[in-house]
Amino acid sequence: MTKIETIKREWLSNPRGDILAGIVVALALIPEAIGFSIIAGVDPRVGLYASFSIAVIVSLVGGRPGMISAATAAIAVLILPLVRDHGVEYLFAATILMGVIQVLAGFLRLNLLMQYVSRSVITGFVNALAILIFMAQLPELTGVPMLTYALVAGGLAIIYLFPYLTRAVPSPLVTIIVLTALVYYTGFDVRSVGDMGELPTSLPMWLIPDVPFTVETFQIILPFSVTMAAVGLLESMMTAQIVDDLTDTPSDKQREMKGQGIANFFTGFLGGMGGCAMIGQSVINVKSGGLTRLSTFVSGTFLLFLLLVLGELVAIIPMAALVAVMIMVSIGTFSWKSIKDLRFNPWQSSVVMVATVVITVWTHDLAQGVLAGVVLSGLFFASKVKRLFTVESELSADGATRTYRIGGQVFFASSDSFVEAFDFKEVLDRVVIDVSNAQFWDISAVGTLDKAILKFRREGTAVELVGLNETSAALIERYATHDKPGADAQLGAH
Amino acid sequence: MGQRAKETVLAAIDASAYATSVCAYAGWAAKRLSLPVELLHVVQQQDPVTARRDLSGAIGLGVKSDLMEELVRLSETSSRAEIEKGRVILKAGEQLLRDAGVADVTTLHRHGGVVETIVEREENARLLVIGKRGTDHEFSPGELGSIIERVVRASAKPVLVVTRAFVEPQQIVFAYDASPAAKRALERLAHSPLFAGLPVTIVMAESEGAAKRTLLDDAEAEFASDHQVTTLMDAGRAEQVIPQVVASTPNAMLLMGAYGHSPLRRMIIGSTTTAMIRTVKAPVLLVR
Repeated sequence: MTKIETIKREWLSNPRGDILAGIVVALALIPEAIGFSIIAGVDPRVGLYASFSIAVIVSLVGGRPGMISAATAAIAVLILPLVRDHGVEYLFAATILMGVIQVLAGFLRLNLLMQYVSRSVITGFVNALAILIFMAQLPELTGVPMLTYALVAGGLAIIYLFPYLTRAVPSPLVTIIVLTALVYYTGFDVRSVGDMGELPTSLPMWLIPDVPFTVETFQIILPFSVTMAAVGLLESMMTAQIVDDLTDTPSDKQREMKGQGIANFFTGFLGGMGGCAMIGQSVINVKSGGLTRLSTFVSGTFLLFLLLVLGELVAIIPMAALVAVMIMVSIGTFSWKSIKDLRFNPWQSSVVMVATVVITVWTHDLAQGVLAGVVLSGLFFASKVKRLFTVESELSADGATRTYRIGGQVFFASSDSFVEAFDFKEVLDRVVIDVSNAQFWDISAVGTLDKAILKFRREGTAVELVGLNETSAALIERYATHDKPGADAQLGAH
Repeated sequence: MGQRAKETVLAAIDASAYATSVCAYAGWAAKRLSLPVELLHVVQQQDPVTARRDLSGAIGLGVKSDLMEELVRLSETSSRAEIEKGRVILKAGEQLLRDAGVADVTTLHRHGGVVETIVEREENARLLVIGKRGTDHEFSPGELGSIIERVVRASAKPVLVVTRAFVEPQQIVFAYDASPAAKRALERLAHSPLFAGLPVTIVMAESEGAAKRTLLDDAEAEFASDHQVTTLMDAGRAEQVIPQVVASTPNAMLLMGAYGHSPLRRMIIGSTTTAMIRTVKAPVLLVR
């Protein structure tokens, strides 16, 4: 059976690497899930349940084996106002709705929209995400004893220097263990995970969110759900692309969208917050040798196992250790190359990238940042293509006929240049407009052509249009009016 | 390119010991069918992700581009080695075919999945020749290579699955069950120059009955014009009857329709075709 073979390949082709990578990822997921819960203003339990449930469900139904999905910063920064104003039950409801929207988006093949997200926007997204993750650590770093800074710095030193000693053990784990032991035995008075809220003590339970089932509730959660769904899908699609590139294997983006939706839908019922794919964790996974669905599955289950078995110990982990891990994630997520590239890239690309970052960091909403980036890159593109437009003209020997040769792209942005190309005041018997090298793209272009032809006719000049290529011809046939009865009357109405 | 339109015998080889016999059988078929041979080798690549051993879990400055670069470098090195190996294999195969008297041999070296590449290339092939096992399963006798099984399932062309040693086929055993696939095999190959002049034994693993006998007679009639035909009806399980007949026929080649059953049934009780290719110690020509 091909089906069974696919399952074998996607789950069991690399068990050793996958299980080890899954464990490494799980160890890094715990601090992140706790960290993101704190960003969102909920108990660590909410983020941890979410990470477990999203990782496990996506491993089963997602479309990109080897990608890690869990509770993420991108979603966490969005939901703070919802939790603050309405409470955590609304968050669960919003997460369920988010899942429904994502599944719908999957059926509508909205992943194809990713084609319009340029590289600069993606870089901006990634950098903004890194900045958001870092900024989320600031509350833990302001107004705290000096000791905390020392601990964080020590933690970062271990994370980056320990791999020179051995690469067989995850260095973030070493950081957590060393700092926890240090704080525990010296009795330093610093904040620990246990101070941040409730940790899981049991398996998650199936719960219907405790919200009134009214239109009002729906109106409260819908805007959040839409944004969460959009941001989640954006990050998931980008991460999938990164994993595709790293592993040189293809993925099913549509299935991934639906998978993300299904995962969030069930996660809402399990008392978790919404999540999506994680760039940093997915890179850690691939770097650690994870490749198939098994590693994602292991990361989720091992995460929950650790919490249930080591719950007591997790509570005494100092926040400084988590902050160190989160700073690492932030550094690893940031695209440092993009800073260097600022000098070499065309200025438009840099503007798009920086605009995406600034708007995201400002609004705490990656969707808005990406939207701004996409609109900007569209504008820049239109202004570039607009220049691909040429006009030449030639007067016949008898001075009665002028031939205009139009070349290039005629669309909304270049339609002004198109009109300006004609000299309507010239007294002529006949005008030939040769558009064999021109492409008419939209109704603005067709409208402008109409206008020009009708204007010539009003001056008593006969107009001949030659050389329409096929697409342009089809467009003109459908939308142009100059060749239809009553055309002259309509001109005035424009 | 001219060769796209031309029909070929497509022979897929890898580094296993089967390569030699695949070439020999491809040469045999090509000469009988008067077709050129296209010799295909797909570059197999070790996955660089799994080749690394780094569980440090730390991600620092520029981790994505560094990792990307490292993975590309690893794949690059292993691919280069594999490509060199592939070139040697293809060259040796081409020489074998030329020595066997096939003048028109083209070689094709591709990247990608083995199954996908074969399916992509078989468009112009009249016949696909492949070894029973590839490098992955070379030394597990009685097993069928997993890739081979997938190729046989995915391919729309007749597939000749060959044994490790080449023996020129002198007789044909036709496993006939009157299934649509078997009927197609009958239609397509009864008059094929591939078997011209070879005696045929038609075997039906059914208990004797008028209806079955008619079917068998029809099949016999189809072959009778070009071949010396024997028919045989044996009320056993096909998986046992047919290998026995093949074993008792010297220098035989087995011809059969492939995978007549529904996917569900195949999953539950396994496939006659797979079992047959596994147990029969002769080349098997499968027609879908």
